[in-house]
Amino acid sequence: MTSADTSALLTVRNVSMHFGGLKALNDVSFDVIKGEVLSLIGPNGAGKTTMLKIASGAQAPTTGKIAYKGTQIIGLSADRINRLGIGRTFQAAEIFDTMTVRENVMTGAVAREAGSVASSLLYWGRAKQRVEKLRQIADEALDLVGLGDMADLPAQDLPTGQQRLLGFARIFATGAELLLLDEPGGGLNAVEKTRLIETIRRLRDLGRTVILVEHDMSVIAQVSDRIVVLDQGLKISEGTPEKVKSDPKVIEAYLGTSASTVAPKPQKDQPAFRPVEMEVVDLTVTYGQTVAVDNVSLKLRTGEILTILGANGAGKSSLLKAIAGLEKPAGGTIKLRDKHIAGIPPDKIAALGLCLTPEGRALFPSLSVADNLALGRYVSLKRKRGLLGILALRQEDRDEIDAKREEIYQLFPILKERANQKAGTLSGGQGQMLAIGRSLMNDPSILMLDEPSLGLAPQVIDEILHKLEHLREQGLTLILVEQNASAALRIADRGYVFSSGRISMQGPAQDLLEDPSIRDAYLGGDDANTQTLRVNATQ
Amino acid sequence: MTLHDFRYPAAILALIICYFFGDTYFISLLVIIALHSMAAIGLSLLSGYAGQISLGHAAFYGIGAYTSALIALHIGITPWITIPMSAVIAGIVAWAVGPIMFRLKGHHLAMATLAFGIIVHVALVEMRGITGGPNGMGGIPPLSFFGTPLLFDEDIFPLVWGVVIVMILLSENLIRSPHGFTLRAVGAREHVVPTLGSDTNKSKCLVLIISAVFAAIAGAIYGHYIGYLSPGPFSTTFSVKLLVMVAIGGFSRIWGVVLGVIFVTFLSEWLKPFGNVELLFYGALLIFTMIYCPNGLLSQLGVVASNAARNLRQRTPS
Ligand SMILES: Nc1ncnc2c1ncn2[C@@H]1O[C@H](COP(=O)(O)OP(=O)(O)OP(=O)(O)O)[C@@H](O)[C@H]1O
Ligand SMILES: [Mg+2]
Repeated sequence: MTSADTSALLTVRNVSMHFGGLKALNDVSFDVIKGEVLSLIGPNGAGKTTMLKIASGAQAPTTGKIAYKGTQIIGLSADRINRLGIGRTFQAAEIFDTMTVRENVMTGAVAREAGSVASSLLYWGRAKQRVEKLRQIADEALDLVGLGDMADLPAQDLPTGQQRLLGFARIFATGAELLLLDEPGGGLNAVEKTRLIETIRRLRDLGRTVILVEHDMSVIAQVSDRIVVLDQGLKISEGTPEKVKSDPKVIEAYLGTSASTVAPKPQKDQPAFRPVEMEVVDLTVTYGQTVAVDNVSLKLRTGEILTILGANGAGKSSLLKAIAGLEKPAGGTIKLRDKHIAGIPPDKIAALGLCLTPEGRALFPSLSVADNLALGRYVSLKRKRGLLGILALRQEDRDEIDAKREEIYQLFPILKERANQKAGTLSGGQGQMLAIGRSLMNDPSILMLDEPSLGLAPQVIDEILHKLEHLREQGLTLILVEQNASAALRIADRGYVFSSGRISMQGPAQDLLEDPSIRDAYLGGDDANTQTLRVNATQ
Repeated sequence: MTLHDFRYPAAILALIICYFFGDTYFISLLVIIALHSMAAIGLSLLSGYAGQISLGHAAFYGIGAYTSALIALHIGITPWITIPMSAVIAGIVAWAVGPIMFRLKGHHLAMATLAFGIIVHVALVEMRGITGGPNGMGGIPPLSFFGTPLLFDEDIFPLVWGVVIVMILLSENLIRSPHGFTLRAVGAREHVVPTLGSDTNKSKCLVLIISAVFAAIAGAIYGHYIGYLSPGPFSTTFSVKLLVMVAIGGFSRIWGVVLGVIFVTFLSEWLKPFGNVELLFYGALLIFTMIYCPNGLLSQLGVVASNAARNLRQRTPS
């Protein structure tokens, strides 16, 4: 395709982005044709988000040109570019948490319907009509993504997956013709992903053009017209889905060759005879009037992997937060070995060896990767040496931190490469690795992971899950909350299924994996699709 | 219009009752409360809704007071005209400094507003020829109504509270208008706003101008009401006091801010005998509010009270 091709909506020419010595993008060129869904895929840190940032004006490239409908957009301000018709969502949801769901989306439409300041202050006829119009646009957009019933909720009460859909609705409301979607499927379960796929198709039918960044190959396979593959800043392949997935370079760099990811666990020992590490009895968590966790009881045995499944908003994250002390339970008890921990402050709980890697990773953005990791160690260090011990680190402690950090680097080699980079500038997947690594720094005896696979490339997920099994063999007990249910069940010993704040089903992971009702509700076609793609890829 | 809103008639009724039954001291406090409310409401738009902390808001209050007084004194125009003129001048100053200040964010912005406040205060002190310096300037003509000068607290009371009610109404309108959405979005997550096609700097400058105009009107009325101006009341102390009022009121709650002003004004009356310890106390109060009552001290007290009431009700029937 040449830039003379009139159907090209966006032309990207020789775009490079350098951060010091790092080439996040290296001479990348491609076209986006009006009305298509173009997927941008590649391993973590390949430069996908950077590309979207440049195309939306959030960042200026080192060199290169981008034209939208024939207009050069490099150097224009981000708001200008949006008004030209390009809208971008963020990899993290980035909702306005002081507003309701509807108000969030209404804000998206303001730029086209603002009107004069005077009419806003006086709120005469016109301003009122405008607000009414905004409301209409917002409700349409919310219906499109399936959040219509939640319009009046405070946006911060939505579970992460839905927050991402909200970001999607918000950008749709700007009226942008070209939508840049950064991992809209992150944190969605199989059913919600089906909805997402429908939505993207509907957008295309409405004549909008989409650039989609996504790690879930089943979503990619179902919606893409064409795919561009990036690896370490270079475009390594481009074309139809069929062509791309059989391209050896893509298989090598991204898809991987293993047909089945993790082999299902053989039922070896009976975990029932192991000692109980933690027991939760009748736990209830409420936010105002809504009951997020409703009288839940569960047991965790030493050295097992427990997985908790359930739709977005089922209360899984709230359960983990309550156990970690981040949310005060409204009722019930939590016993860690012999100690009651319900209501104890989170740092005390962490000191007992119970660690949570929260969803959406809470990193220290202005500290380096290495410092973020070191901070993970400070909780146990403070317990041992007191505050003074941290302010003036002893040599042995320093060595201990270095040794532990080395272990994490073995787990995630990219973190070693980026030891001095600020955590805030990491790619989404790199940040997730850092968050997991930081929790491990503290030598927890129980590790709770809330959606560890969020934003990770498929190969990396496999690797991490393998490594979790490995850690378990070394004595770690794990609770895993995952939307990628099939992968989670494969490594887990037991599973609980949550719906509307209650446990609706429980049992050995193997049984849940085979249970037809679970298959329909949480596993979806997801698993099958990924595998077809991989099998095809190996042929 | 939100006039159906029960709070407006309730507030007006309460004011009428105060007007007829309050003693002179009480009425004079209410006038001060009204003047501070005007400035605080503007600051709540700027620092509460749009999230741009200002430590120099007293400057606009001072600019309003001095320009209105100077024009009325030297040119002899009626204060009814010089007050709006001073509001326009303050608006122009805001329009000029806004784009420069809003290049900065967070602490840096707070420092810049602090510097702006100090510069204006120093100017008021040093420009002796015009402002009278630390000695101040007197003989400022009062507002008059059909030939009767509004000299006493009872005379000015309906005017100042009328202005406050209008400002509340305008602010509430702004907040729920399309521009208001952008303001609140800037306060919540600034970096997202450009991706939605709105210019963050424009909307920050807009709210700075509005809040400057509100503060200038308050300052101008104050000057004509007191009849004498010195730089003292327009220092950083007053800026901080305004911010404390806004914080106690809950930052982004227009009516709450008025309650915050009432609270702080009565508190400072009570603290008067202690002299300069006042500022120390505000600092402590601000820190306490920010940590324990992010939605405002008063709304937190409200929550505590309603919880207590519910507990009581639950206990009584059983
Ligand atoms: N400001 C910056 N300074 C230094 N390095 C940066 C900066 N911003 C991004 N990078 C690096 O550039 C590379 C590309 O990042 P980008 O966010 O585009 O990756 P991505 O393809 O979106 O990955 P993911 O799938 O993990 O989200 C990463 O290695 C990242 O660490
Ligand atoms: Mg990314």
